[in-house]
Amino acid sequence: MTRVHIDPVTLATPLFILTIILEIVFARLGKAKASYETKDTAVSLAMGLGSTVAGVLTGGVIVAATLWVWQHRLFDIPMTAAWAWVAIFLLEDMTYYWFHRISHERRFWWVSHVNHHSSQHYNLSTALRQTWTGAFNGSWLLWLPLAWLGFPPAMIALQKGVSLVYQYWIHTEAVGRMPRWFEAVFNTPSHHRVHHARNPVYLDRNYAGILIVWDRMFGTFQPELDEEPCRYGLVKNLATFNIVRVAFHEWIAMAGDALRHPRHALGYVFGPPGWSHDGSRETSAMLKARATSPAAAGATGPQPAAPQESPA
Amino acid sequence: MNAGFFVQLGASAAAVGALVALAAWAKIARPVSPLDEHKAREMLAEEFPGRRIDAVWVASDGAGALARSGGLALVLCRVGDGFAARQIPWAQAIAASFRDGRLRLNLADVAAPTAVIALPAWPPKDLAA
Repeated sequence: MTRVHIDPVTLATPLFILTIILEIVFARLGKAKASYETKDTAVSLAMGLGSTVAGVLTGGVIVAATLWVWQHRLFDIPMTAAWAWVAIFLLEDMTYYWFHRISHERRFWWVSHVNHHSSQHYNLSTALRQTWTGAFNGSWLLWLPLAWLGFPPAMIALQKGVSLVYQYWIHTEAVGRMPRWFEAVFNTPSHHRVHHARNPVYLDRNYAGILIVWDRMFGTFQPELDEEPCRYGLVKNLATFNIVRVAFHEWIAMAGDALRHPRHALGYVFGPPGWSHDGSRETSAMLKARATSPAAAGATGPQPAAPQESPA
Repeated sequence: MNAGFFVQLGASAAAVGALVALAAWAKIARPVSPLDEHKAREMLAEEFPGRRIDAVWVASDGAGALARSGGLALVLCRVGDGFAARQIPWAQAIAASFRDGRLRLNLADVAAPTAVIALPAWPPKDLAA
């Protein structure tokens, strides 16, 4: 196997630090649109640091599984071929789209991904607010078919890193809209602000990693609307900065629901966030339906007996 | 994990500390004005669309509010420079501990364990039932 020692995320870390400093300083000077709340920033950055540690602890299993699958590959895809890089770029980005979509639309994956959405702020530190438990959901399995096809694991890892680094810069309010051609093809700050917004019209939209074309193709694209300013965070925002609660709250809530209602456990684990067996909670689809047609969804909404889930 | 990892981790932790200190120094959180009844009702309508509001009690420091909506208590509490909203049974709000002008509501939610709302008195005599 060709050995590659390039980790785009590690290489980009100084850039992450520098750009956060610039965003804060420019906002302070009134030259850029950004807001930073101290505790929120601390939680975002500590989640990022924790996710790095979690990645080191769990990465071995993922690497071993990827290598094993690659050893049973269908084709030999050379890392030196330009077409192979074009192919991995497109296939990895589409894989990311589906990973991201399932991470929002099914609670078993949402329990981890919710961490990334739990800030009420949208700035560069939010980009680093990453889950500690992503490896436990098995979402990394989605990338194994690339190894089975024959893409070398190092190539897959490199492209995943490139995607993560690309997605960093779009977590900002400091950039308005990019040129039209760019907005049409690529994920941008504007598109991703929509993704992080809790306004019903924006829920479960714009899952793209690098190319926004996947959202356009699969019907999940929503442009940012001037008349609907983004409100960030979860449908039911966190009322704590306790990092342990931030990291594990949805896991605990899901386990609690499954244990309280064992006959409906599958629904609580694999249903959409906000699903409930008695209709006492609201999913993103229900919230969107109610926002667009209040009469159709019931004027008073459900009357939950317990706190609602938090789709975003 | 080799020594390099720990060096990198230590450096990253130091950078996190420095960035948090910079954010604190910059004082660029969103400006949050204390809630008044109008603003609280506006926020309640946004957080609980379609719900009828029977009565609202706004915290004396403007950092929260409590509303009755039929058999439910709708709670707003300040978190940093934002707010979080939850609902609990009205009976639970009535039975909440009230000491030194502070109502401590157990929100029974791991993501929102408690809300503390400063009020002159609790429970309200006319709506306690």
